[in-house]
Amino acid sequence: MKGNALQILLVEDSAGDARLLREMFRTETPGSFVLTHVDRMSDAIGHLSKTHVDIVLLDMGLPDGHGLETVRRAHAAAPDVPLVVLTGMDDELVAAEAMKEGAQDYLIKGQIENRALPRALRYAIERHRMQAETDLLRGQQMQLKDEFLSHVSHELRSPLTAIYQFVSIILDGLAGELNVQQREYLEVILRNSRQLKSMIDDLLEVSRIQVGKSGLELQLTCIQDLVVDTVATLQETAALKGITLSSDIAPNLSSAYADPTRIRQILIILIDNAIKFTPASGTVQVHVRTSERDPQFLLLEVVDSGRGIPAGMTEHIFERLYQAPDADKGGRKGLGLGLHICKALVMRQGGQVWATSELGKGATLSLTLPIFSIANLIAPALKGATDAETSIALIVTEMGSQSGWLSKGLEIESSREVRDVLASCMHSDLDVLLPKMGPASGTEFFFIVAVTGDIGREAITRRIRERLEAAEKLKQSGLIFTVSCRLLPAHKHDQEPSEEYVNRLAMKIQDQVDQNLRQKVATHE
Amino acid sequence: MSNKKILIVEDDADVRKGMHLRLQANNYDTFFAVDAVSGVAEARKHKPDLILLDLGLPGGDGFKVMEWLAANPYLAVIPVVVVSARTGNANRLKAKKAGAKAFLEKPVENDELLAVVRKTLGEAPKPGKALVHDLGDL
Repeated sequence: MKGNALQILLVEDSAGDARLLREMFRTETPGSFVLTHVDRMSDAIGHLSKTHVDIVLLDMGLPDGHGLETVRRAHAAAPDVPLVVLTGMDDELVAAEAMKEGAQDYLIKGQIENRALPRALRYAIERHRMQAETDLLRGQQMQLKDEFLSHVSHELRSPLTAIYQFVSIILDGLAGELNVQQREYLEVILRNSRQLKSMIDDLLEVSRIQVGKSGLELQLTCIQDLVVDTVATLQETAALKGITLSSDIAPNLSSAYADPTRIRQILIILIDNAIKFTPASGTVQVHVRTSERDPQFLLLEVVDSGRGIPAGMTEHIFERLYQAPDADKGGRKGLGLGLHICKALVMRQGGQVWATSELGKGATLSLTLPIFSIANLIAPALKGATDAETSIALIVTEMGSQSGWLSKGLEIESSREVRDVLASCMHSDLDVLLPKMGPASGTEFFFIVAVTGDIGREAITRRIRERLEAAEKLKQSGLIFTVSCRLLPAHKHDQEPSEEYVNRLAMKIQDQVDQNLRQKVATHE
Repeated sequence: MSNKKILIVEDDADVRKGMHLRLQANNYDTFFAVDAVSGVAEARKHKPDLILLDLGLPGGDGFKVMEWLAANPYLAVIPVVVVSARTGNANRLKAKKAGAKAFLEKPVENDELLAVVRKTLGEAPKPGKALVHDLGDL
């Protein structure tokens, strides 16, 4: 019967509690459960890697693991095995949090009835199985849809290419002289095929966003530059319609934590849209400043003097396939995907989008983007490290080439590889790999804030060296790497680290980062 | 000086003809292939100065063609420019690794096509026309 028996792994350091729990299986049919008991997280992870387990029963306070971190580690060690958390009576809130980390259920010690335990475990297993099945099905459906959209948009591109080519061949006089009217009509065809192309692009973008394929590369981003560039790019389009396009950027603006390519895309959608709905001699303005409501965010507004959005519609304009009901007679409707794409992109970068308007007096489309802050990035890690004898280490990896300068393509590609290697070297989820901090040039720096203490730090530095040297793709690139480590004085703390402490540490890290980047500029000037 | 020779490997007849008309008008001689195998065969026969290569081809895709070209020292030196409806960075990177000099997305504008062809052939850009695409961006 052992083949059908449920394999339970109990991770519990209290011998008394373990005995009590074991008792609860006594009344079950012999052979229906097999209970394996370990009292350390490390043993549990070892067991999970070797043996099939149907369910893990996990105490959240272990000698080598504490609180949610325990749940995260157990879940990471065996993501396909359902997990039920055991907790003390005063820890119910934490236990509820554990569900978000991947636990199926929690049981409160001292409140478990004899018969309830086996039943709870069976339910947990069943629920987990159904969830996995649903996820799989949904994944398959999404993939099918994605493949379909990508196929369709691919197939639509070929005939469009031919239309493009031949229209422009005739327009350029390669097939003989054209009269004014012929030229005018051909330009209509050309304009419309361009529109078709942008619709196909939108379609593909939406399908990418939906499957989460639209990768974001969050980094230190200067919003000011992006706004200035985009406004300059669209100046001509605005002028053609007789619209004044301008920007107004607050001084001393912090950088955002965002993906510059995506921000440019968002700006183009918003400004283009504003131009479309504003009549001749109107204005479109782009404002950027720190959000008054939350100084941790930048506020970006695109204000137009157009006809505005009807009352009650301001929320709907971001919906997929939304069309302005009375869109310009002259102008052509799009697919209704632009603002939808825009909203999805902003939200995935941690911001918000909304619209305000008074009919006839124009509309304002606003969005927020998180300000870049090292403190925000490292705070969660420091909170998780409260009971460690922590000293914080800043590990700096520098990537350069023998000739001094990297070609752009090689640099972007290799940066990505290096980031992957670094991410795989990090110790649990406490260490933080900081995003790209400076403009790319001859060398590139990568910074890891290691919160896992001295042993972790040395292990990480060694591991980074070894893995970078071993990475096949980097070997061929001819790049040079240096790995160094700086200890940052950090005091031990018994409770949650204070905001002030996190900020102070963040400033020290920022200092070190700045020093490295300055050095880089100095060596290349 | 005789005209430079360009081989167009493209299975869509209309797109093929469109490219031909445009290139011919700019004093290039064009040759054609409609699938992967004939792509390599035509390259062997005509020794073109440049190959414009579609990725979605019958009988092995454009990556296969680049692989076959690379295996032959005489053909490996011919610069390849990919012209494809396949989008996305993954395809760009893959094409670059396979040896492509540039990647053009369909539908491609004529100015862009010509600018990239000229740059790849090491010719000066046509006066008055901006070079639309920096090949380094690939």
